[in-house]
Amino acid sequence: MISNRFTRRRLLGALGAAGALAVLPRCKSQTGGSAGGGGRVKIGLVVPQAGVYAPLGTDMKRAWDLWLELHGGKLGKLDVTTVVADEGESPQSGVPAVQKLLQNDQVDVLVGLVNSAVALGAKDMVKEAKKLLIVTNAGAGAITGAARNPYIWRTSFTNAQISSVMGTHMAKLGSASPAYILAPDYAAGSEVLAGFKKTFVDGGGQIAGEVKTPFGKTQDYQPFIAGIKSSGAKAAFCFFSGAEAVAFVKQYAQFGLAAEIPLYASGFLTEGSVLTAQADAALGIQTTLHYSTELDNPANKSFIEAYRGKYSATPTVFSVQTWDAASVLHRALATATALDGDSLSKALEGVGTIDDSPRGPWSFDGQSPKQRIYLRKVEKHGTDYVNTVVTDLGVFAQVS
Amino acid sequence: MPAWLDTHLVSLLNGLAIGSLLYILAVGLSLVFGMMDVLNLAHGVLFLAGAELAWAVAGESPSWPGFLAALALAAVIGGAAGLGLSLGTERLARRSHLDQALFTLGVALVIADGLSAAFGDDVHAVNPPPGLAGSLLVLGKAYPTYRLVLIAVGLVLAVVTSRVMERTSVGALIRATVADREMVAAAGVDERKVKLIVFAVGSALATVAGVLGAPIYGARPGLDNTVLILSLVVVVIGGLGSVRGAFFGALVIGQIESLGRALLSDLASFLLFGALALVLIVRPRGMRS
Repeated sequence: MISNRFTRRRLLGALGAAGALAVLPRCKSQTGGSAGGGGRVKIGLVVPQAGVYAPLGTDMKRAWDLWLELHGGKLGKLDVTTVVADEGESPQSGVPAVQKLLQNDQVDVLVGLVNSAVALGAKDMVKEAKKLLIVTNAGAGAITGAARNPYIWRTSFTNAQISSVMGTHMAKLGSASPAYILAPDYAAGSEVLAGFKKTFVDGGGQIAGEVKTPFGKTQDYQPFIAGIKSSGAKAAFCFFSGAEAVAFVKQYAQFGLAAEIPLYASGFLTEGSVLTAQADAALGIQTTLHYSTELDNPANKSFIEAYRGKYSATPTVFSVQTWDAASVLHRALATATALDGDSLSKALEGVGTIDDSPRGPWSFDGQSPKQRIYLRKVEKHGTDYVNTVVTDLGVFAQVS
Repeated sequence: MPAWLDTHLVSLLNGLAIGSLLYILAVGLSLVFGMMDVLNLAHGVLFLAGAELAWAVAGESPSWPGFLAALALAAVIGGAAGLGLSLGTERLARRSHLDQALFTLGVALVIADGLSAAFGDDVHAVNPPPGLAGSLLVLGKAYPTYRLVLIAVGLVLAVVTSRVMERTSVGALIRATVADREMVAAAGVDERKVKLIVFAVGSALATVAGVLGAPIYGARPGLDNTVLILSLVVVVIGGLGSVRGAFFGALVIGQIESLGRALLSDLASFLLFGALALVLIVRPRGMRS
């Protein structure tokens, strides 16, 4: 007979083993793309293919494939070979994926990265290899801006860029102060809240309270929602994405706050597939982001039409960011003298304004987009939930 | 006090609701480990299977027949999975816990990837069945009806399981097996059959908990690990192999996750494992044993 005490110790060991589940790397890679004569460029596309970010990876890969399909499989005048690697959901899987592309596959350019921790982990690696990396999502400020190295460019956004614009807007409203602010307790959450607080408080807004929820360990937001309610706030600003965004928005409505305290957020709260899952609970939520499927410009219309035609799905901001990565590479490769990071970086400096992007015209500033930020509101059109564009809040560069 | 209660009533209620759900989830794990000495790390993935099942069978806005069908199907599938796991671990019974852990962990990873392949990696939200989607006023506070019903379901199940364990001959047999498996075998009872039944019922409850939890937690990749860790903590806090211990542990964790986080929101990340550490220091054999 094994004693109870002994088995308890084993159980604790197993608890540790279960915790290790989260960090087991899952690596898989595949080769695709076209082959042909003439000049060639080999692109490593690093996007999540498994784990919690997999839906984003799907959106990104689709946009990449679509761009190439519509442009004869060429970037500049070069035939493109794309090697795809799985970023996974953490640096434990993402950084080795980048390393593999650089060392084993000898790619010329890296494109992708959802996770900021992976992008920061890969920073020195691309610098050493002198290869260009175009980040198509990861929003940490330190990837570009003041702390940049010449090899990392970004076609997405920075966390504080999106939230600081909302801070200014809500402060101007007057009716949205005092505001309660919340985000997950990790780097991106902190950057979002810091960016918001600065412009909101500078604009005369008051903070009713602030909380950071345990990241990835919170299924039930009721305790925090209770905090918003008892704080006396007139508005709430938050940032969540993925599963957390769905849970938070649904519970915010279930506990009756959606009708009492209007919810504002960074646009990722209601972007892409999460909006379908949130459904009615998301109606009326206002967010800031650099894209919406509802933007009324010819580039966006033809992009959405092509995307829907090929995939029977609606593109997201993640698709647009990757689409634009192909678009800037196309411009840079047309003028670049060689495929090393220094030549390509130099060519990117000269691309000027990207005037055919679905998000509207934008340009590089500190290697990150200087772009229009839109105020969006969730509405129901027929059976679909969409982020309608309320207004254009102006052009903003990276906040550092 | 009334003012305090007024502020935190919703959090207290919510602790009960989460506790109820955790009880339904964890009681099977506690019994299987306590009596059979089998460490089942596939317990969490059964919950996720139930949640995905709720989404697939009942849809995003389930009807009552759909929701009940999902519950029934979950019980059957969970029970069958329990039988399979029981048979699979049978051969490992005389080996170390590490071997069992590796086996059940492997099974869990395979099933989780299978679920991801079958249902996709998107987050699936499931609404409560009709009539339970709204809120009720409890002492003047709006509280989601579905969670109130969940509290009732959890309490009923707790009463039923404790009655079965304490007043029936099957329960006596299970308790005897927890206390001394060899003696039960020596008394002429095939303890492997008891193990099969307990494993099947415990796993069925975990899968049913997944369906019941779907309107609150949704269904998403990674949920299996989260609930596995929660249920392991419940079992450690409550003590092994005891239905009452599991109930007690579930209620404590429910309140820590709800009221605790509301009161100490700055420490929210540390509360769960802080409580676990405290219990291990003060009452290393579990609070109820």
